[in-house]
Amino acid sequence: MTGGDASRSHVDVITIDNLVKRRGSREILSGISFRARPGRVTGFLGPNGAGKSSTLRILLGLDRATSGAALIGSVPFAKLPDPLAMVGAMLDGPGAHRARTGRAHLRWVARSAGLPRARVDEVLEVVGLTNAASKRVGAYSLGMGRRLGLATALLGDPEILVLDEPVNGLDPDGIRWIRTLLRERAASGRTVLLSGHLMGELAETVDDVVVVNEGKVVADGTLGEVTGAYRTLEDAFFALTTGAAS
Amino acid sequence: MRALAAETSKLASLPAVWIATAAGVVVPGVIAAITASAALGAIDRGPAAIAAIDTGYQELAFGVVGAIILGVVAVSSEYVTESADSGGGRQITTSLTAVPSRLRFLLAKLSAIAISSAMLAITAAVTTMGVVRVVLGEHAPALGADDVPRLAGVACYWVYSALLAAGITVLTRHGVVPLAVLIANTSVVSVTYLLTKITPLANYLPDMAGVRMFIRKLADSTAEISPLTGGLVMTAWVTVLLVTAAISFTRRDA
Amino acid sequence: MTVPPATRTRGREAAQALAAELSKLATLPATFLTLGGTFVVNLILAIAFTNAGLRDSTGTRSAPDIGLASIGYGQAGFVILGVMAACSEYVGGQIRTTLTAMPRRALQFTAKHVALAIVVLPAAAITAASGVALAAGVLGDTAAPVTSGRVAGALGGVTAYLALTTLISAAVGALVRRTLAAVVVLLGYLFIAGPLLRDHVPAARYLPDSAGFAMWFPPAEDAGAVTPVHGGLLLMAWTVVLIAVVVLGYRRWDV
Repeated sequence: MTGGDASRSHVDVITIDNLVKRRGSREILSGISFRARPGRVTGFLGPNGAGKSSTLRILLGLDRATSGAALIGSVPFAKLPDPLAMVGAMLDGPGAHRARTGRAHLRWVARSAGLPRARVDEVLEVVGLTNAASKRVGAYSLGMGRRLGLATALLGDPEILVLDEPVNGLDPDGIRWIRTLLRERAASGRTVLLSGHLMGELAETVDDVVVVNEGKVVADGTLGEVTGAYRTLEDAFFALTTGAAS
Repeated sequence: MRALAAETSKLASLPAVWIATAAGVVVPGVIAAITASAALGAIDRGPAAIAAIDTGYQELAFGVVGAIILGVVAVSSEYVTESADSGGGRQITTSLTAVPSRLRFLLAKLSAIAISSAMLAITAAVTTMGVVRVVLGEHAPALGADDVPRLAGVACYWVYSALLAAGITVLTRHGVVPLAVLIANTSVVSVTYLLTKITPLANYLPDMAGVRMFIRKLADSTAEISPLTGGLVMTAWVTVLLVTAAISFTRRDA
Repeated sequence: MTVPPATRTRGREAAQALAAELSKLATLPATFLTLGGTFVVNLILAIAFTNAGLRDSTGTRSAPDIGLASIGYGQAGFVILGVMAACSEYVGGQIRTTLTAMPRRALQFTAKHVALAIVVLPAAAITAASGVALAAGVLGDTAAPVTSGRVAGALGGVTAYLALTTLISAAVGALVRRTLAAVVVLLGYLFIAGPLLRDHVPAARYLPDSAGFAMWFPPAEDAGAVTPVHGGLLLMAWTVVLIAVVVLGYRRWDV
């Protein structure tokens, strides 16, 4: 279960180490640990409310963990010297103000990393938003918003992609397109971590699978290992998550 | 009726409505405490001084800011997109699906605003007059038969102000500008008051006319308007604005 | 492609953060709508005040005093601008993009406020000067004589006051994170609580609004009054302390 080249794997590995997050008296994460390695697409799966988004938010420095660590290579995200060139992220929604145009949104993000304007047009082309670039984000459909989020993630041509539910809101064409994109990134030795609960869509995309339920990891391994004796990843997922709940 | 119940429960669940309530009760109450104790000091120093006729009422004219916030927020909350979970969606779409008749939706909303701002006005009036009585004691101006129409005037002024605020917000579809303009105009020296220095016609603007319903001695007044006329003038303003808002609301896209 | 070079210096990072924040402000339609609207409303009010001045109901014939009187209301526009600059981060979940692009939050927060100051300073100067120019033009020969030093001082004071008020508003907006709530708090203070405190509590002269007014209002006669310079320093201190307090929270909280 290795991939990519070993010489750089230490900077591209995502390490989640015993994360605990409490909000008030509620424990959202109860000691989550796993790794996402270069050259692999890692699927981070679980039902809604299992702790996927919280884990990714802590990884990106948006939320603070009660204890434990989330590292990019050997440092937390907020300590990366040039975060956009290292990690591209898309969490829920486009992450853009509805009154700005898609292009204006990408431009300010590009400025924050000193990227040239031409790069904005490149990513617009890649995600197929060139024609909608001058429209306000508020007028975008759900799928267009997702594409803008992806464009933002790809802007710095990062070593690592972190995507929360990337196929949500995409049409079948969009799903096929993103699957190809993610496979290509992994094939070139980069790290891809994506979360989701749509098992059917993810089974054909991921190499490694981490399943969480109620703030705990209930399975971690290659796609084959986790699917194991079950017929499909979907069957394995329901067995694992409902089993843990009872 | 069901639409009204829905609108009332929507209002009660808005945090900003509780800010409005606090502002509406605390602002006149605290100001009354400050001015009444200053008046008490004057009375103690010289027997000639007596508490002014507008004690309490003057403060309630500022407290109307609570009703204004209520009116603006009740409408603008339908259009807000700041919440992290809204995903850019606006409540108005859901609201209009639940109550397909736009006119009925708007009437329900305005009724909910009118009822809650009337309740707010009564609470604020009781609190403020209570504070005046506690601070001034025996020097407090006696509440007599004349105060019944005046207090009714306060409630009327608050309800009208809330409806004006709501009507303007229906037209702008955004709360910030109406809120800023109306709060700025509730200040000690309001813009409309300054306008009366330029033209006596400004005395017939909604707030300048409306306060006549309960304020008896307006500083440097440039026109004599009776309480009844003042009330009628403000009623006319509210009617015109709400009709305009209703026409615009029923004709445009959500 | 191998590991990206870790060569970005802190200075370069700060310059890029400032460029990004300036770009955000420039592409938010609300920025120029608010500044333009404030300019127009302020000018209309200045016309009204000048008109009142011609009828001698302002008690003065000084062009800067009459021309700047409208700023008392016009400042509401700058408050809105500051609040919207801060709260717009929370529309559409933009804050997540901001903090993944600029994860060093104190640096990002500072860059945002510096960018805001860069945009507001010229706008405030133009807004203030237009009112004074209008008053001077209309009053003409009937205007009370003033020294150019007094005019420059008042304009400088007003510009600094509006810029600092905008920054305070942005900090309050970042703290409250809801546009309407922040606007209610700030305008309720500036227009209702502040003036009443000023009339009844002597120590209120050191509060941000009264101290700031001393920077440009006609100097008061009584000996205990805050001088323009002291007022400016006080308001600056309020601004810095408030921003510092909000940064402490902003660095730690979940977004």
